[in-house]
Amino acid sequence: MLTQDDLIRYDRQIMMPEFGREGQKRLKKAKIFIAGAGGLGSSISIYLAVAGVGAMRIVDHDNIELSNLNRQILHWNGDVGKEKVYSAKQKLQEINRSIDIETINRSITDDNVLELTEGCDAIVDAMDNFDTRYILNRAAIKRRVPLFHGAVNGLEGRAMTIIPGETACIRCMYHGPIESVKFPVLGVTPGLIGIIQATEAIKYIVGMGELLKNRLLIYDGMDLTFKEFKIKRNPECEDCGHL
Amino acid sequence: MGVTISLHKTHRRYTNGKETINVEGNTVGECLNHLTELYPDIKGAIFTERGNLNSLVEVYINAESAYPHEVKKPVKDGDIIHLIYTLAGG
Repeated sequence: MLTQDDLIRYDRQIMMPEFGREGQKRLKKAKIFIAGAGGLGSSISIYLAVAGVGAMRIVDHDNIELSNLNRQILHWNGDVGKEKVYSAKQKLQEINRSIDIETINRSITDDNVLELTEGCDAIVDAMDNFDTRYILNRAAIKRRVPLFHGAVNGLEGRAMTIIPGETACIRCMYHGPIESVKFPVLGVTPGLIGIIQATEAIKYIVGMGELLKNRLLIYDGMDLTFKEFKIKRNPECEDCGHL
Repeated sequence: MGVTISLHKTHRRYTNGKETINVEGNTVGECLNHLTELYPDIKGAIFTERGNLNSLVEVYINAESAYPHEVKKPVKDGDIIHLIYTLAGG
C-alpha cells in the first residue's frame, strides 16, 4: 500500500505509464541483495534507494580506505576506517528513510551465500573479483532469482542480466578462475555501470521493458561507445547446464 | 577476403596500434595462429605458456560468444572475430 508521502516522493516515476502506482507497489514490496558496497555498490544502492525499493540487504567485509574515495560515492572523508556497510547504511537511510536497509559485515562464501541471500527477490553483483561472482551465480541459480552482473576496469565496463533457467549465466561466458588483482578505475565507470544494473533490477521488479538477457553490454568510455555481444546458454555449463 | 580480427585496446600495443587485422583460417584457432605469425609479440597476451587461450581473453564471432571450445569454432570469409579483455573490477 502506498502512503501519501510515497505518492508525492515517487510522483515523477509513477507518471510513467509503464511504471504507474502498480510499479511503485512492486518496488516497495521487493527485497534486493547487493553484494558489495564499493564502486558499483554505491551507485546501485543509491539509485535503488531513491527509486523506493522497499528493502535492501548489503553485504561487504571491507573497511573504507582513502584510496576508495575516487569512486565509492557512498563513503566520504570522515568515513575512512569505518566499515563500508556502516557508512552505506547511514547514507542510504538519509537518502530515503522509508526503506529498510539491512547490512552485514561479512565475506560472501560458498558456505554462507544461501543464508545471506535468503528472502531476497534478486541479487546484484557489485563485487571486485570473479571467485565471489561465481558464488553469487550459483546462489542465483539455486534460488532461481535473477542476477544483475556488472564489472569495470579503467574507463570500460560491462553489464548483463541473468535469469536462471532462461538465459546464459556467468559461467556460460567465462572460463573459470580469474586472478584477483588491483585494478585501475575512474569513478565514473562504476557509477555508470551500477546505474545500468540498478535500471535492470528496477525493470525486472516492475515488469517493464527489455532486459539485458543473453546480451553482454560493453561500455568503452574512452571512445564513448556501447557494444552488444550475444551470449548463448552453454548446455555443458557446470552451473546452469542442469536447468 | 579472409577473416577480420578486431582487437581490444589492451592488445593493440602488439600491432602498432592497429585495431583490425586481416587473417586467413577456417577456425578461430587457425586465425589466431595467423595473427601471432604476423605479430609474434601478441602471442603471450592471447595464449598461455601451454598454448591454451588466456582465461582473460573472450572470443566473439560476428558479435556472438564463441565460448566454450573457442579455438575449434569454424569461421568463414567475411567473418569478424572480436577479442575482448575480461573485466573483473567493481
